[in-house]
Amino acid sequence: MFALKSKPYFKIGRLALAIGVTALSAVTGTAQSGGGEDKSADTGDYKITSSIEIGGRFRKVDGSENKFRSDLNYRTGFRVFDSSFLIESKDPKKDLMDSMLIQSSGWGADPSGYTRINAERLGVYRFDSNFRQVRYFNNLNNFAAGQHKHNTSHLFGDFDLKLRPQSEKLRFLVGGSFNRTKGPGTTNGRAYRDDWQADSEYNYRSKDLRAGIEGKVLGFNLGVTQGFRGFTDRTRYFLTEPTLGNNTTDNTRITSWFREFPIDGSSYFTMLNAHRTFAEKVDFTGQYVYSSTSTINPMLEVIIGRDNNNNQIDRDEFRIDGDAKRIQQRGNLGFTFMLTDKFSISETFSWDSFTINGGENLIERVFSRTSAGAPRPDQYINSYAFRTTDYRRYMNLVEGDYQFSKRLSMHVGYKYTDRRATLWGIDRTVTSPTSGTNPLLHEEVENNDTNSVIAGMKMKPMKRWVVYWDVEKGDADNIFTRTGNYKFTNFRVRSRLSLDKIGWSASVITKDNLNPTLTDEAVPRSFGTDVNTRIYSTALDWTPATMFNLSTGYTYTHMTASTAIIVPVGTPRLQGVSRYFIRDNHYYLDATVKPNKYISFFGAYRISKDLGQGDRTANNIENITSSYPMSFQSPEVRVALRIHRNADFNVGYQYFKYGEKFQTLQDYRAHLPSISVRLFFGNPDR
Amino acid sequence: MKASTQILKVACLGSFAIVLALWIAYGTLSTVSGTDVASDSGEPVATAVNPDDYVGSESCRACHEDQFKGFDDTKHAKIGNLPEWKNKAQGCESCHGPGAGHLEDATDKTKIVSFKGKNSKQVSETCLTCHAGKESHNNFRRGEHWRNDVGCTECHTAHGSVLADYKVGSGTFAGDASAQNAPRAVNAMLKAAEPQLCMTCHTETKAQFSKPFHHKVLEGTMTCSDCHNAHGGFEAKQTKMAVGADASCIKCHSDKQGPFVFEHGPVKTEGCSACHTPHGSNNPKMLVRSQVRQLCLECHSALPNSDGGAPQAPHNQSTSRYQNCTTCHTRIHGSNAHKFFFR
Repeated sequence: MFALKSKPYFKIGRLALAIGVTALSAVTGTAQSGGGEDKSADTGDYKITSSIEIGGRFRKVDGSENKFRSDLNYRTGFRVFDSSFLIESKDPKKDLMDSMLIQSSGWGADPSGYTRINAERLGVYRFDSNFRQVRYFNNLNNFAAGQHKHNTSHLFGDFDLKLRPQSEKLRFLVGGSFNRTKGPGTTNGRAYRDDWQADSEYNYRSKDLRAGIEGKVLGFNLGVTQGFRGFTDRTRYFLTEPTLGNNTTDNTRITSWFREFPIDGSSYFTMLNAHRTFAEKVDFTGQYVYSSTSTINPMLEVIIGRDNNNNQIDRDEFRIDGDAKRIQQRGNLGFTFMLTDKFSISETFSWDSFTINGGENLIERVFSRTSAGAPRPDQYINSYAFRTTDYRRYMNLVEGDYQFSKRLSMHVGYKYTDRRATLWGIDRTVTSPTSGTNPLLHEEVENNDTNSVIAGMKMKPMKRWVVYWDVEKGDADNIFTRTGNYKFTNFRVRSRLSLDKIGWSASVITKDNLNPTLTDEAVPRSFGTDVNTRIYSTALDWTPATMFNLSTGYTYTHMTASTAIIVPVGTPRLQGVSRYFIRDNHYYLDATVKPNKYISFFGAYRISKDLGQGDRTANNIENITSSYPMSFQSPEVRVALRIHRNADFNVGYQYFKYGEKFQTLQDYRAHLPSISVRLFFGNPDR
Repeated sequence: MKASTQILKVACLGSFAIVLALWIAYGTLSTVSGTDVASDSGEPVATAVNPDDYVGSESCRACHEDQFKGFDDTKHAKIGNLPEWKNKAQGCESCHGPGAGHLEDATDKTKIVSFKGKNSKQVSETCLTCHAGKESHNNFRRGEHWRNDVGCTECHTAHGSVLADYKVGSGTFAGDASAQNAPRAVNAMLKAAEPQLCMTCHTETKAQFSKPFHHKVLEGTMTCSDCHNAHGGFEAKQTKMAVGADASCIKCHSDKQGPFVFEHGPVKTEGCSACHTPHGSNNPKMLVRSQVRQLCLECHSALPNSDGGAPQAPHNQSTSRYQNCTTCHTRIHGSNAHKFFFR
C-alpha cells in the first residue's frame, strides 16, 4: 500500500549534511579571534562572515493531511533554517582559495533543502556545486480519480570546476550532475477491459559528466564541450492484494500482477561555441549542438486472475523488447551589426532537427482455463511496431535597436519560423493473418510556417523611473496540438521606480491567443480556441529607516480559455466547449521592525484566492466548465531576541489555511510553531 | 506554403545577413584599431594609450573612498595581478580609462570615463569588453534583456556587493534573502540575491511561485538561473538547454528524457509548457487545466484519422472512469511498450 514514511538512508544523509554544516560553523566560530570595524571576523589567514540558524519546527494539521503534505509537506523535527559562510583569504597568493561561500537551508524537517558551495582562486580555479533534495508527496482525491500517488525523494546536484577561469587564452571545464528519485507510489495496470490501481516503487536516476575547453584562437572565442548522461529506470510495479479493478461490475479479477520494466539510456552530446566581436562593430555568435540519445528496455508483465469473459487466467505473460534512438542537431547563428553608436541590427538564425527511431517486439503467452476449470488452448501472440519521427525547424529573427537618448530606446523586429514533422510507423501482428489493418501503416506529415513582429521601448521619464514595454504579434506554431497556427498578441509593460527609501514596481501582461480553425473531418466542425490572459502586478518595498522595512505586493491573474472540443458520449460524438477560468488574487505583506539591537520582529501575510469560474456551470455533458477556486493563506510572525553578541534566539509561528470552493474534503489548517538559535560569526558590530 | 517559397525566404534573409556582414567588415574593420572604451558625448577615447597615463587604483582612493572600499575586495580589483591580465586590467582605470588627466584636474569631467551619462547598452559594452566570449554570455547582445535595454549594471555592481545587516525573515520563504542572508549576493557581484533580484521587475512570478503546486524557488532550493539564462540565449524565454539539446526540464526530470518508441508528439515539439505551468499552479502536477480530460480533449478532438486522433465512443465522458485519461494512459510522456501509452 501507499507508504507515508520516508526512507532511513535519506534521513542519515540529511543528518550528515546538517551535522557537517553545524560542525563547520563551530570550527569557524572557535577559530575567530576578534573583530573590528569590518563585519567579518579575523581568523588568521581568513576573514569569515557567517551565520547559522538551527532549531525545531512543530506541526499540527487539522483537516486533510494528504492535501497538506501534497502542498507543503512540512514535518515536525530538527531543521537547519538557514546557514551561510563566506570565507575570504587575506593573502590570496599563498592560500588555496580567495573565497568560499557555503550556503545551506532546509535540511531536516523541511520538504526541500539545499547546500551550495562556491569557491574560487583567482586565475586558478572556480568551483561551483550544489546538492539539493525535494521530498515530493502527492495524494489527492481530485486528480486522476485519486490515483498516481507519490511519496518520493528527489536528490540532485551539480558540480562544476573551471580551471584558469579568467584566462582568455585557455580555460578547462569539468562537471558532473546527478539525479536520483526513489520512493513508493501508485500507478495503474490495465487488461481485460478493466484497470486497477497498483503499487509502484519509483527508482530512477541519472548521472552526467561533461568536460570542455574554451579559449581564444585567431581572435575568436571558441569553446567545445563533450558530455555524457547515463540514466536508468528501475521502477517496479506490482499488486499487493487481489483487486476487482475499477470496473467492479464486470468479471475481471486480478489476483496477481507485476511489471518489471528496466530502462537503460545514454546520451552523448557535443557542443561547439564561437564568438567574436569585430572592431566593436560586428558581434558574431555561433553554436552547434549534436546529441545522440538511446534507450533500451526489456519488459516483463505477468497477470494471474480472471478475464472479462470469466476465464481463469493461470498466467498471461507479456515480454516486450524495445529500443529507441534520437539523433538531434541544433545550430544557432547570431550577428549584431553596430551601425552607429545608436543604431544596431541583429540577425539570429536557428535550426533544430531530430530523428527518432524506435521499435518494439511483443510476445504474449496466455495459459488459461474456462470458468469451469477446463483447459483452454494456450495463446501465443507475436507483434512488432516501429516508429520514425523526423522533425526540423528553422527560425529567423531580424531586429533593430535604436537609442534615441540615454532615456529612450526602442526595438522592432520580425520573426519567421518554418517547421516540418514527419511521422512514419508500422504495426504488425505476426501471428495474425494479413489483412487491411495488419500490417497497419501510419504516415503523417505536418508543415507550417509562422510570421510575427516584435517591438518594444524603454523610457525613463525621470532619472529613477523606468518604463519598459514590448509586444509580439503574429502566429504561433501549434500544429501538433491544433490544426492551425494560433494568432497571438502578447503585450507587457513594466514600470520601476527606485528612490532612496522606496522601490515600486508595476506590470501589466496581456496574452491573447485565437485559433479559429476547423476539424479535419469529412464534415468539418469548429475547432476554435480563444485564450485570454491578463496579469496585473505591483510590488512596493519601503525602508524609511534601518529599523523598519515593509514589502508588499498584489498580483491579479485573469485567464479565460474557451475551446471547441468533441466529446465521446456515445455515437455520434458530441461537440461541446471546454472552458477554464483563473481569477486569482495574490497579496503579500512582509514587515520587519528592529527597534533596538536586542529585539527584532518579522510579520508576514500571504494570500492566494482564486475565484475560478464564479457562478458559471456546464449545462450539459458535452460542455466542460472548470477552474480551481480555492483560498490559500499564510500569516507568519517571528521574534528574534539577542541573547549574546554572537547569538539570537528566535520564536516563530506560521499558519496555513487552505480551502476549496467545490468540496471541503481537502481543506486543512496547519499550525507551525518553531524555535531556533542563530549563531553569528564574524559580525561583531551587528 | 510551398517549399520553394520557404527556401527563397530563408535564402533572402541569409543573403541579407551575409551581405550586411561583409559590408560592415569592409567598411569598418580596417579603420579602428587601438581603441579603448568607446565613448560618446565628448568622453575621452584614448586611441593610443600611454602606459604612463595609468595612475593606479590607490590614487582614486583619496577622493572615492566609498567606491574603493567595496571594489578593493572584488575580482575586478585583483585581476590585474594575473600575468595574462597585466597591463590589460588596471583596477578602476580598466573601465574608467587612464586617470592621469583626471588626477591633474579633477574638475574636468571630460578627462575620465564616467558612466553617469551613458545608457544601459553603452555601459554593457564596457563590461562585454572582457566578459564576452564565454558561452553563457555569447548571445547577450541579442537577448531579451539587451533588447529591452536592461544592462549589466541593472543586476550586477561593478564596485562589489555590500553586505547588508542580518534581519529576521520568513522561516519558510526566502522573502528578503539578500538582507536575511547577506553574503549570498556576493556571487557574481549581484546587487541582490536570486530570486529577489529577478522579482524586482518580474513581480508576477512571486504570485506564481506561491501557488499550492510550484517549483521550490521561494524556498531557495531552486533559482531562476537554474532554468533561465539572464544573459540571453537562443531558446524561448531564455531557457537553458540540458544534456546537449534537451529542454531544461529534462535536467532534473530525467525519466521524461526518452527517446521513446512511441513518443507523445507535443512533448518533443511543443515542449513541457504545452501542458504544465512551470512556475506554479493551483492544479495538481502544475497542469494548465484542473481536469485531466479537459487538457487532453482540447487537442484530441480534431484529427480523427491521425495518430493524434480524438477518443472514440467507448471513452464515454458521462462516466467518471473515462474522465481521467491518465488512469489508463499512464505513460503519457512517451512509452516504449504501448502505442497508446498504457504501459
